[in-house]
Amino acid sequence: MWADTLLIVFISICTALLGEGLTWLMVYRTERYQKLKTEVEKQSKKLEKRKETHGDTLDKQQKKKIEREEDRLKHNNRDLSFVKMKSMFAIGFAFTALLGMFNSIFDGRVVARLPFQPLTWIQGLSHRNLPGEDYYDCSFIFLYILCTMSIRQNIQKVLGFAPSRAASKQSNSLFGPAPGQFK
Amino acid sequence: MSTKPKLAEKNGTIKAKELSVWTRAITANSEWPDKDEFLDVIYWSRQVLGIILGIIWGIFPLKGFLGLALFFIINAGILYFYFSNFQCVDEEEYGGPWELTKEGFMTSFAGFLVTWIIIYTGLHYEPDDTL
Repeated sequence: MWADTLLIVFISICTALLGEGLTWLMVYRTERYQKLKTEVEKQSKKLEKRKETHGDTLDKQQKKKIEREEDRLKHNNRDLSFVKMKSMFAIGFAFTALLGMFNSIFDGRVVARLPFQPLTWIQGLSHRNLPGEDYYDCSFIFLYILCTMSIRQNIQKVLGFAPSRAASKQSNSLFGPAPGQFK
Repeated sequence: MSTKPKLAEKNGTIKAKELSVWTRAITANSEWPDKDEFLDVIYWSRQVLGIILGIIWGIFPLKGFLGLALFFIINAGILYFYFSNFQCVDEEEYGGPWELTKEGFMTSFAGFLVTWIIIYTGLHYEPDDTL
């Protein structure tokens, strides 16, 4: 059984590397992406600093400046996700096909034994396509998702492809502004 | 003539900075001028801790809700102790203790689950040969 689990870890390492490699080929290395990324990072940092110093001010001019910068950042962020989107679609399709293949290889096979009983709404995933009612049995897809969750993000981080903290913080606050922020 | 000491000074600071991430991470009350650097230290320590806990839980073996709860408590507790008592950073600078606790938590949890499941399966589970 150890062979199956290690094989799944290996598969997810390979798919993560493949995914990052393809994204690098289609997105990360393009000039447009790099330009946009540095711009977004620079703007996010600038905006964060400005908010820190003038966050609570009632000065209308400062507020206007902050809003204008937020708009610009929003615009750039949208461009950035658009650049990423096309390749994401392509990779998404390729990976769905790959996943389908692995799913059929491991179909009905218990790949691991869980040391805990998953919550009912996760059981559909952890017990997918498995015979019997023993919910401690683990299906391929559950282990694969867990492996991917940890491995892919760490690989992105090591390779420097993960979005910077300042940028993700700003884009989060742009999509869900804190209540009272624009009063 | 005046460039020499300046250059030396510059090299000195660069060297100090290069040395530092590891040494500063294990030295109490270090200075962290770059916030991202400190957050990276938190992130990676959390990943390593997750895997170590996964291995220990798997060998032991700890099971069920107790295993999950202990992981949450120990992971959050150790890192909280690290940044508030060992490094003594100003949590508010990073958006509060919650932001620091969130840093890399889900990835660490996933890593922990994978190692826990794999080690537990390998050491403590004999599949029946009915299939």
